[in-house]
Amino acid sequence: MSWLSIQRWRGVVLVGLAAVATVVLAATGQLVLYIHPRYVVFTVIMVVLAFLLVLASALLSKPDDEDAPASPFSKALSVGAVALAALLAVAMVALPAATLSSATADQRDINSTAIGASDTDLEDAAAVPTAEFAAFTVLDWASLLRQTTDLAFYRDKPVDVVGFITPDASDPDVFYVSRFFVTCCAVDAQPAGVPVYLPGWASQFEADDWVRVTGQFAANPSSGSAEPLAIDPDDVLAVEQPSEPYLF
Amino acid sequence: MGTPTETAAHEHPPSHGYDHGHDHGHDHGAPARGFSRARAIWLVVGVLGVAGLLALRSLATEGGVPLPNQLQDLLTLAFSVIVESLPFVILGILLSIVVQAWLPDDLLQRYLPRNAVLRRFCISLFGIALPVCECGNVPLARGLVMKGFTVSESMTFLLAAPIVNPVTIITTHAAFGFDDGILVARILGGLAIANIVGWLFSLHPRQDDLLTPSFAAECARGDHSEGSRPQRSLAIFVRETSVIMPALFIGALIAGAIQVAVPREVLVSLGSNPLWSVLAMMVLAFVIAVCSSVDAFFILPFASTFLPGSIVTFLVFGPIIDVKMLAIMRTTYTTRTLVQLTVVVGLLSALIGLVVNVLA
Repeated sequence: MSWLSIQRWRGVVLVGLAAVATVVLAATGQLVLYIHPRYVVFTVIMVVLAFLLVLASALLSKPDDEDAPASPFSKALSVGAVALAALLAVAMVALPAATLSSATADQRDINSTAIGASDTDLEDAAAVPTAEFAAFTVLDWASLLRQTTDLAFYRDKPVDVVGFITPDASDPDVFYVSRFFVTCCAVDAQPAGVPVYLPGWASQFEADDWVRVTGQFAANPSSGSAEPLAIDPDDVLAVEQPSEPYLF
Repeated sequence: MGTPTETAAHEHPPSHGYDHGHDHGHDHGAPARGFSRARAIWLVVGVLGVAGLLALRSLATEGGVPLPNQLQDLLTLAFSVIVESLPFVILGILLSIVVQAWLPDDLLQRYLPRNAVLRRFCISLFGIALPVCECGNVPLARGLVMKGFTVSESMTFLLAAPIVNPVTIITTHAAFGFDDGILVARILGGLAIANIVGWLFSLHPRQDDLLTPSFAAECARGDHSEGSRPQRSLAIFVRETSVIMPALFIGALIAGAIQVAVPREVLVSLGSNPLWSVLAMMVLAFVIAVCSSVDAFFILPFASTFLPGSIVTFLVFGPIIDVKMLAIMRTTYTTRTLVQLTVVVGLLSALIGLVVNVLA
């Protein structure tokens, strides 16, 4: 295949492959693994338009005869870049969708400063009937823990959360039940997590396993962990990854 | 996975390509009509290729792909950047097609003032009418140069448009309201930078030297005015995607790789120092490469730890300069130009951030 046809068609092929991948993701409800739900409709509309243009270009467009002559070096560079881009596009279509793993959670510093009172306000939470705390997510709890570590606030409040396991580097008896929360797309995903004190958890579970943790907060018995409070679990059950693994 | 396979059947015509190793595809040898036998063959090859990839995907979904976590996350992040940017890139190319093929040649030029400074100021306000964020603006800026605007004017447009576009203003207001003057500083700062940079580059005696040789040659060849408007539109679509898409993919890959490699807490821990927090925010904006229309939501949670001026720096610098944008802008401007651009924009946004930090 000639240099000219690569140069001419590379963009259309990349748009086509990315469009197929996006449509497949949208059809299987997995587009939310990559972008916030509010962009799904816009994205699908634009991708379908792109798809029609790809089709029209392939069937109807006329050959564009002139092209700037390229030096061998820039040709090689350009072929390399296109090969890499094509590989990525092929992977986009051929590989199943995936969520970010605990490797990224670690690297992005779980419960970094990005979690604040804006997520769940302490004063509002104080007015919530006790039973409703069972509906609080990992993010809600992480936000509350940031605002107060006074055990009196957490006493008798039921915790029932789902998340994946991120090990606590400072103590093998503690892990974080964690979720990513997303404002725009997976690129900005921030990990939020709540510490769980469960000696020997590593013999039952592995990092990245999805679990449902029920129990209550208690003073963290761990000596190594910097967290003053941790969930004292009544039960830790292995569960399937939820269909919307990110919190929005 | 039933529907996608069906959809795929339409796709791929142009997959003449590199994902299949056959030696073929002499479209250019064919007479100047749209559809040729060679193309029909490639169409079939392409459809089969995509069907094959989708089959592979469903196999992999059942079997599970044991990629190492870091590699898997790198791919997930790169795909996320692509999926997020693609609709805006398409929208930008569509608008570029409208400007190049459908608007009368002199429509935009006719109403612009003759004075260069006023003219650039008007151009920096174009973005108010265009709900496209930064990656979509590159094809549009290229369209403007093709239409006879100068290179420095295209830069003024490119720098201002992502900040003054209506979606960006609405989301920034939704995130910050008028607190600490963040919204006002962002809009005024963005306009100031765009006009100053446009003025600086207008001093360059040979404007074409700022462009990559291939784009300069394309401009010199001029408008492909032959053919019907739909034909020209398709030609622009093919040309613009062939320039922008590889850059978007490479930029996304680099953005993903950096994110997997650089620990974020290093940046966040610098938050409360007036000087360091400004620099940390610039590095964060550079690395994150998130779209200007949504970056306000991204940075909002950091507002409690970072000074307002640093937030402004993020919001002014990020839309213009980041890894993805540099890859995409490299299709049009020379490396030398982009280095100068990065330095100037970096200094100006740091200055704006420091001023806000002092005042607030």
